[in-house]
Amino acid sequence: MKMNSWMLLLIFGLFFSKTALTAPQSYPPQVGTVHPDFVLPQIDSRQPVSLSQFRGKKVLLINFASW
Amino acid sequence: MPVWHKATQEWVKQGRLIVLGIAQEQHGDRCRLYAQWQKFDFPILHDPINLIGAKVVPLMLAIDEQGIVRAVGPKLEDFEDTFLNKDFLAGKAAPPPAAKPSAPDIDALQIKAKQSNSIEAWRSFGDGLILWHGSDRLDEAIGAYTHSLQIDPTDDLSQFRLGVCFLKRHESGSRQPGDFQKAADLWGQALETDPNQYIWRRRIQQYGPRLNKPYPFYDWMAQAQTEVKERGEEPVAIQFPLSGSEIAQPMRKFLADSEKASSPDPDGLLARDTAGLIKAEAAVVPSRVRSGKSIRVHIDFLPSESLEAHWNNEAEPLRIWVDLPEGWETKSLLLSAPQPEEIESIEMRHIDFGILTPEGLDPGPIQITAYALYYVCEGKNGTCQFLRKDIKIQIEIVK
Repeated sequence: MKMNSWMLLLIFGLFFSKTALTAPQSYPPQVGTVHPDFVLPQIDSRQPVSLSQFRGKKVLLINFASW
Repeated sequence: MPVWHKATQEWVKQGRLIVLGIAQEQHGDRCRLYAQWQKFDFPILHDPINLIGAKVVPLMLAIDEQGIVRAVGPKLEDFEDTFLNKDFLAGKAAPPPAAKPSAPDIDALQIKAKQSNSIEAWRSFGDGLILWHGSDRLDEAIGAYTHSLQIDPTDDLSQFRLGVCFLKRHESGSRQPGDFQKAADLWGQALETDPNQYIWRRRIQQYGPRLNKPYPFYDWMAQAQTEVKERGEEPVAIQFPLSGSEIAQPMRKFLADSEKASSPDPDGLLARDTAGLIKAEAAVVPSRVRSGKSIRVHIDFLPSESLEAHWNNEAEPLRIWVDLPEGWETKSLLLSAPQPEEIESIEMRHIDFGILTPEGLDPGPIQITAYALYYVCEGKNGTCQFLRKDIKIQIEIVK
């Protein structure tokens, strides 16, 4: 029984460690969930900007490209 | 985008909304020119490595005061009613904003990567280097992503981001042979793992065959530069010139006029550039192609710094001749690269062209040959010569 539990744990651990390495990023986040915070450089000034610095305001986040 | 910008301007002025853009493209300067042209007045962040993980653009998210996503792909017609006017706080006070962030501590990321030796930590170290130090620590970023790929060679995020680094280095003064091809190869590998990643697919299409593009890439740029100048502004400078693959016009289809051109050196009598005054490098996008599909070939020519080589622009421009086997098609077998007005120059020159492969090829590597002809001078006031360089183009045909 003890052996079985350890084996189960090992299988579980292997499964989740592999999942963590290979799982595709889930984006966009689902409606009703918190958008993960991020820090990216501003395109002209290169100053760091985070999403959380706008907390308390409504934000329209637009992923786009000029092409 | 311009529609949303116009519609939201008043709400932003009233303090009811923050608009935050994230540019999902390799070249920040091109996006800056676009923003200048469109008079975008909201902050735009640059995410060349797709850190956010968006798979398509444009992708809009309406996020409330607490950071909760309230709509993905909101509709403009009911945006005010369903989002702006809605009380998501239910009487509670709005949470205070977080302090303005600082750039990540690169040393700490490096220590974490070395200590944990995990793929995520090495990737984060690479992310920090490429996003916050750009060209200054590009080789280290390449090293970090290479490290994560040593742990898991199939990690598509590292593959894509390493490709971004290689292209960036290719476009810098510290370019290494093969950088462009490595970028194309890595993006191709990443896309094989996640074929639905449109941002990655677009990066390959940017340099790939024109026929594979659903719509133009940077055809807007010339119009933008003209109109910005007409407004009395100086357009944002573009650091790396557009390649032919990045615009759709003036050529959108293959023309079967190859037979009109003839080889300028059919018997191979011209002297070869054995000293390596000009270094030439070919890259193929996509690097692996099915028989019957098209590819884009990019060839760069760079005068040797150590030999103090430079272009002689008083003579005819750099030309290349492509020796295509029977059944293969291209717009023109003889192509030339534009040259500046000054008498001498040392810039890298670029020629790119599409090739349509024939049907029925067996899988495996195929080598196409081409040669370049150019006037090049060695050293200050040194001898100028008209030379030929033979070029090999490697194409991998897949099932």
